[in-house]
Amino acid sequence: MTATDWVIVVLRVVLPALILPAFVTPLVWVERRVAAFIQDRPGPNRVGPFGLLQSPADILKLFTKEDTVPASADKLLFLLAPGLAVFAALSTFAVIPYGPTIEVAGHTIPMIGADVSIGLLYVFAITSLSVYAIVLAGWSSNEKFALMGGVRSGAQIISYELAMTTAAAGVVLASGSFRLSTIVAMQQGAYHLVPFLPRWNVVPQFFGFLVFFISAFAETNRLPFDLPEAEAELVAGYHTEYSAMRFGSYFLAEYINVIVASAMTATLYFGGWSLPGYHPHGVLGGVVSLAVFAAKTAFFVLVFIWVRWTLPRFRYDQLMKLGWKVLLPLALVNLIWAAGLEMFRMHN
Amino acid sequence: MERLVFDAAALLAMLFAGVMVVSRDPVKSVLALVVSFFALAVCYVMVLSPFIAGLQVIVYAGAILVLFLFVLMLLNVGREQPDGMPRPIQTVLGSLAVFVFAGLLLGMLRASGSKIPLLTDGLDPVEMARPAELARLLFSDYLLHFEAVSVLLLAALVGAFVLARREDAP
Repeated sequence: MTATDWVIVVLRVVLPALILPAFVTPLVWVERRVAAFIQDRPGPNRVGPFGLLQSPADILKLFTKEDTVPASADKLLFLLAPGLAVFAALSTFAVIPYGPTIEVAGHTIPMIGADVSIGLLYVFAITSLSVYAIVLAGWSSNEKFALMGGVRSGAQIISYELAMTTAAAGVVLASGSFRLSTIVAMQQGAYHLVPFLPRWNVVPQFFGFLVFFISAFAETNRLPFDLPEAEAELVAGYHTEYSAMRFGSYFLAEYINVIVASAMTATLYFGGWSLPGYHPHGVLGGVVSLAVFAAKTAFFVLVFIWVRWTLPRFRYDQLMKLGWKVLLPLALVNLIWAAGLEMFRMHN
Repeated sequence: MERLVFDAAALLAMLFAGVMVVSRDPVKSVLALVVSFFALAVCYVMVLSPFIAGLQVIVYAGAILVLFLFVLMLLNVGREQPDGMPRPIQTVLGSLAVFVFAGLLLGMLRASGSKIPLLTDGLDPVEMARPAELARLLFSDYLLHFEAVSVLLLAALVGAFVLARREDAP
């Protein structure tokens, strides 16, 4: 490998992981402004133009505050848990394709961190590890509210992971691969019968998409499923005892998870970086595809924010009922439907 | 390079399996097992079976051990206190078992020697480890076993449910 190749590898692998946290700062501002808009109030508008510097100021504050550790806490795990949360959130993005494979000056550059054959499984594997960050935070704090929050969250994430994985299995069936770049490639073009309809997975598997997207809210601990930190009953749930940037780490992880969940939804059900009828070429094609991918992701991020400030929180039994009695059966029906479609396609 | 990563991961897996055994705190034991399983998944990736590695992390580290952790937390199992009781019989039998097991392992290694199957032998490992190929085998040659296991698991599930049900429950 030449020096240029190394630079390219570093750029396409390391850069997305570094850029992701950078998006969180403006995202917090967007969330607060949209929340204010929905609740008919101005929102943060004093620090800098349009209040844009409010988030950097808040983060600066988080970094300079005192970092306390409860005397009765399990020190090692208490300090480790927030790092684990951020690590799990960041490493998921590695397998999501954010553009096509482009040719630039004789170099072939796939616009993806690592195009592994088990892409989708990798994402679920890392997601299933992120539950440790929350459960351990709750346990190591050695405090009843934190413990209850951690246990609740663990149960919630495991329950919804089941529905989410089953829904995504429908996409795997339709694409015949766990590889995310293949899943995107299979969604290009349009249907024969209805030429204006792009071949996105959301069309034949609308209920699969619904289950996946709803589960994504539960997986990222966002309202209406933010029970682990239900203020009225659990103070602040698993991160009650955390302060300063360790507390901030959980929010950093939450926002990165929101971005990643949106990117995954766009990739699995809305054709990823592809635009119907557009065949990317060269650098310009790469830039356009990246913009398309960013736009689709941004749309779902906005839906995340929109829902958070519109719907009230579920009760715990309602949450479990929804997960096990509605979403899981729906995901199973979707899987059978997807299998039926695939059989129909193979016989024609 | 691959060999180095494999050896490091294997060493890590064994090290944390040891930590799991000697740790007096059950929660720490579970966490050590998580690290051990994760290292094992890295080993699988290094022998070109990423699919198995993915399943290893999702099923074992992601689901089963989370349940372990759950039960430990809910029951609030504390640190194990050494009761100071001498256990001569256990000590003798335990050491004996270790020696027998080590002997068996060494014997197997010596007997097979260079005959331990390597990646490069015969079949294409990449082809063998593909999810599609695994699925084909599972649903053709091993279909009966697959169904038998699923019925067994269902029976276990129903059994656990019956045992856990309270008498006065509706």
